[in-house]
Amino acid sequence: MKMKSMKKVVGPEYNLGDKIKTNVYAVGVAMQESVYPHTATVFYPRERKKMPDNFRGFILFDPDKCISCFNCSFVCPANAIRMKEAPNKRYYPTVDYGRCIFCHFCIDSCSGGALKATKIHDVAYKDMDAMFTPTEEMIELPEIIREDKKYVEYEIKEDDLHLKRTKGEDYLFVEVPPPKEIPMVSTCIDPGSCIGCRVCADVCEHGAISASVEDGGTLRMKIDTDECTGCGLCVKECSMQILMLNKLERE
Amino acid sequence: MMEIINTLMETVMSNQVSIPLIEPMLDSLPEIPMLQYMVAFMLWKPIFALLICPGLTVGGLSLLFFPWIERKLCGRAQWRVGPHEIVWWLGGVIQLLADSLRFLFQEVIVHKDAHRPYFLQFPFLSFMIFLLPLLFIPAGTIVAIQTPYAIQIILALVCLFPLFILGFGWASNSRFAYIGTVREAFMYFAYEIPFIIAAIAMIILYGTSDPLLMASRQSIPGIILNPVAALVFFIGAAMATGRMPFEIPDSDQELCAGPHVEYSGIAFGLIYVLCYEKGYILSALMTILFLGGGSGPAIAGLGDLSGVFWFVVKTYLVLTTLFMLRAVYPRYRLDQGLKLGWSPMLVMAIIGLAISLVVVAVRVI
Repeated sequence: MKMKSMKKVVGPEYNLGDKIKTNVYAVGVAMQESVYPHTATVFYPRERKKMPDNFRGFILFDPDKCISCFNCSFVCPANAIRMKEAPNKRYYPTVDYGRCIFCHFCIDSCSGGALKATKIHDVAYKDMDAMFTPTEEMIELPEIIREDKKYVEYEIKEDDLHLKRTKGEDYLFVEVPPPKEIPMVSTCIDPGSCIGCRVCADVCEHGAISASVEDGGTLRMKIDTDECTGCGLCVKECSMQILMLNKLERE
Repeated sequence: MMEIINTLMETVMSNQVSIPLIEPMLDSLPEIPMLQYMVAFMLWKPIFALLICPGLTVGGLSLLFFPWIERKLCGRAQWRVGPHEIVWWLGGVIQLLADSLRFLFQEVIVHKDAHRPYFLQFPFLSFMIFLLPLLFIPAGTIVAIQTPYAIQIILALVCLFPLFILGFGWASNSRFAYIGTVREAFMYFAYEIPFIIAAIAMIILYGTSDPLLMASRQSIPGIILNPVAALVFFIGAAMATGRMPFEIPDSDQELCAGPHVEYSGIAFGLIYVLCYEKGYILSALMTILFLGGGSGPAIAGLGDLSGVFWFVVKTYLVLTTLFMLRAVYPRYRLDQGLKLGWSPMLVMAIIGLAISLVVVAVRVI
């Protein structure tokens, strides 16, 4: 196969006039900048850069919304999230910031909206062990000494970067509206395979699943669709994997 | 005894720096014993040149503040801030003072393989070659030693700087220092020849090498009479100081710090200011050769200090431009530096020499 014509990449050629012109321009820019500089530095402790609302920073946790579904720890690509048992026998996430890569997959995967993103990016730890953050420390915002009097935004005007400084403190916690809930309900897809272990009834927090013995001595589990919140705990715990979450169809 | 003192006083009083502004103050001094002798001694022109300008005081102040000015200006040109946190309301002026305090209390480490006596001697001796050329540099009309061969002597003494840098590298006995030293030697030959030819061109142009006479013959500044030689001299000075566009010997990215890689503490502090010392002397030389020395509109009340003022202003202007180059130009490789020195600069220096000859011939005709 014959190769097509090759093109050699060469740098642009400048004649003497162009060289003098570019040199004079460069020196002019340097002089102009040293008199009126477009300094792009943010004086960090005294002022803060305004981060976008979807900034991926420190992760906050709301135990009331957590359903202990373990999704966050399953999805975590860095294995930073471990579930730990709380005194109320529930499992809550803990984050090891020595491992966390701030991908926020956990927040995306959280079904109850219990994990929340903040704009905090400057938390200091004494050593690697202290970077392991237990659940209790994730509920409140970490203690931050705010020295900043202004916040800074970058603006690009006429191909140049400009800083826009505004007085006041930037908010670090973003209030996100709660996710739109799709009403779900747990249903048994194959009642014949049920072994009657009653794990689903034990795990249900709302008492929606009850067991009853039928005439023939067979155990029958019943799901009360009005009480069921569609949290999916029973689906996860079912040893025969015959429970499934379905969209609740109300008339 | 009194006769000796009187004859000494006569020589001292005959060559005083006259400052009309402080003369009423000086007239009231005889009431205080001894002080008038001391003031007269201080105002004796050679001692004034040695201790105040262009000597220790102005030189030392420029060593103290020029690293700051350089870093600040380059920072602004590159959208940074430069030194900021130490006395931040003044923009970090005393940065080098803080640094030198740190240098003072830091241990000077002499490693096992170093040539110990030379390793410790060279940094301290290198300060001497900064002071020696200052004896021959006039600020206005004030000069410590007036000789008709001043420019040649200054050039010869400035050429001692690379010798000391070679000394650092040799005494360090380290591979980085060795490579840096070889590069310094290469660069030295590349810039020194065009540099000296440019200076000779100006000596030919003025017909003298006495700085005071040179200043008086520059009714038109030398930079207009011979811009080519001025350009060559300026680039040569930039290469000689070894600052950013030409920091080939101590290239941080490749050789850590080149010849002074093994130094620490106050020894490093003295080497750190070496290029500023060299820059100060070369800027003073450029002021004398091309910008008319201390000549300028006389300022009422300052007397002889008027010349000193213009000299310092011009020198600092050249020095700032010299150090601002690092904000504008990217750095050169060794081969590019050598090529620049041996071909375009050498040719331009010879063209400058020819221009000088033509100007001299035209004047004679």
